[in-house]
Amino acid sequence: MPIITISRGSSTMGKVVAEQVARKLNYRLISREVLLDASSRFNVPEIKLEKAIHDAPGILERYRHNKQSYVAYIRSALVERVVDDNVVYHGLAGHLLLAGIPHLLKVRITADMEKRVAIVMKRDGIPAEEARSRIVEDDKQRRKWTHSLYDQDPWDVSLYDLTICIDKLSVDDAVEFICRAAATEGFQSTEKSRQKLADMAAACRVKAALVDDFPNVGVTCEYGNVLIYIKGRDQASPKLLKQLNQIRESMEGLNHLETHAGVAVPPDAV
Amino acid sequence: MSIILISSDDRETEAIIAEKVAQEKGYERLDRRFLNDVAARNDLNLDKLKDALTSTPTVLKKLAARQWRQSLACIEAEVLNRLLADNMVCCGLGAHLYVTGISHAMKIRVQSGKEKKIADIAEQNAVSFEKAAKWAAKELENQKKWSLTAFNADETDLSRYDMVINLDQIDPVEAVRTITGASEYRKFQVMTYSMKCLNDLALAARVNVELLKSMSDVNVQARDGAVIVYVRTLRRQKRKTVETIKELAGRVNGVSYVEVHVNKSLKEND
Repeated sequence: MPIITISRGSSTMGKVVAEQVARKLNYRLISREVLLDASSRFNVPEIKLEKAIHDAPGILERYRHNKQSYVAYIRSALVERVVDDNVVYHGLAGHLLLAGIPHLLKVRITADMEKRVAIVMKRDGIPAEEARSRIVEDDKQRRKWTHSLYDQDPWDVSLYDLTICIDKLSVDDAVEFICRAAATEGFQSTEKSRQKLADMAAACRVKAALVDDFPNVGVTCEYGNVLIYIKGRDQASPKLLKQLNQIRESMEGLNHLETHAGVAVPPDAV
Repeated sequence: MSIILISSDDRETEAIIAEKVAQEKGYERLDRRFLNDVAARNDLNLDKLKDALTSTPTVLKKLAARQWRQSLACIEAEVLNRLLADNMVCCGLGAHLYVTGISHAMKIRVQSGKEKKIADIAEQNAVSFEKAAKWAAKELENQKKWSLTAFNADETDLSRYDMVINLDQIDPVEAVRTITGASEYRKFQVMTYSMKCLNDLALAARVNVELLKSMSDVNVQARDGAVIVYVRTLRRQKRKTVETIKELAGRVNGVSYVEVHVNKSLKEND
């Protein structure tokens, strides 16, 4: 059965859609739990993780690489959560963090700007102009974030399998379309796709363990065999050797660890 | 009873999906073959009409800006006039960009699938995957540029559509089923008011065609037979321009009143 990510702009009713899809399909619904998992596992305050996945990196952060670390933690926590399938995730950036999983149904919910403004006005009790500027700022931050970390535009239609505008189409209609798409053959998990997801989870665990000291590291995994792509100068680093030994000892399910230095990181690496 | 407007990043995909939807619904299909009628009725060159729907005028191109604008205006007016008949599936004529504010017009974008498109380009032109990816991105950029120049609307912006379906993993048969299912919804059914709005759009487009024969830089709005024209002109020619517009617009069937605003943009007035 598929994993469903529901990406949404703020105040687009995407959360309601996600809740109803999960209820209808009897799937687990996850969102904030991922941040809590990452926070406790990697010992980082939840607020910092939330900021990392919401706001675009500032100038200093681009040099400190904190954001890469936090995103790697969140990604690892998220992949661990979805590894058993039958999940609806409606937190931030699910379609990007889980990209590469074959049985992933990526949905985007949009809404007419005036409708969004009305929702924010009602929810926060603020005038229309303030509501509009909040939404515009929020959209801008998400756009910048996706650009800076994934070099993608969240409004790029090719990132999603299904985009539904809640305007003429209602929440119920959207739920029906998503459930119907989830039942189609292209999104059913297979042994191969489940193996790919398990490999991705392993790669994410390794990346999360290395990213603090090696922010540009790329990791791939195939049937438990892990390839680590690092910069040429890092290859002989004692820190790396020590960490690799720790990974070998502490992580289960890894057959083989290999480092590749000075070569381009493949596009499917985490 | 509705209008279904289908657009895609790939002409072939667009035509196939539109044909299937039209078959399923028993609707008439309006596509590029309609340009023969447009050319004949407006005494225009068919090749230039086709060219106007794909390229923008440049200094070096044979299609002059004014001729290009006129060709597009003729297509728009003829298509809108035809859509008044209702029960239509329209594709390949840019209707998703100029049919605005019509509740019974359902706008669907079908993405042919990025991977498939790149693979097709690579195979057809015997080029590398990287080069094909660059060509595909360039093509998309050109589509975006065309839509912005022609109708001041970005056709790659997913918020323009009621639904966007990506065929990377969703089967075309399922996509057709989803589109036909959605078109049955109450909000896409014809209402007296939505029909009136379509009539207004069609009238404004007809007036626009008439005015573009002797001037450029005009914007036309229509409401219940009353037409408002916004035009830019030199101050010394203001009186003459207003008289000419009133005379030309007054000749168009269905116009009962003409109001001219000189050197004011539509936006300012909205």
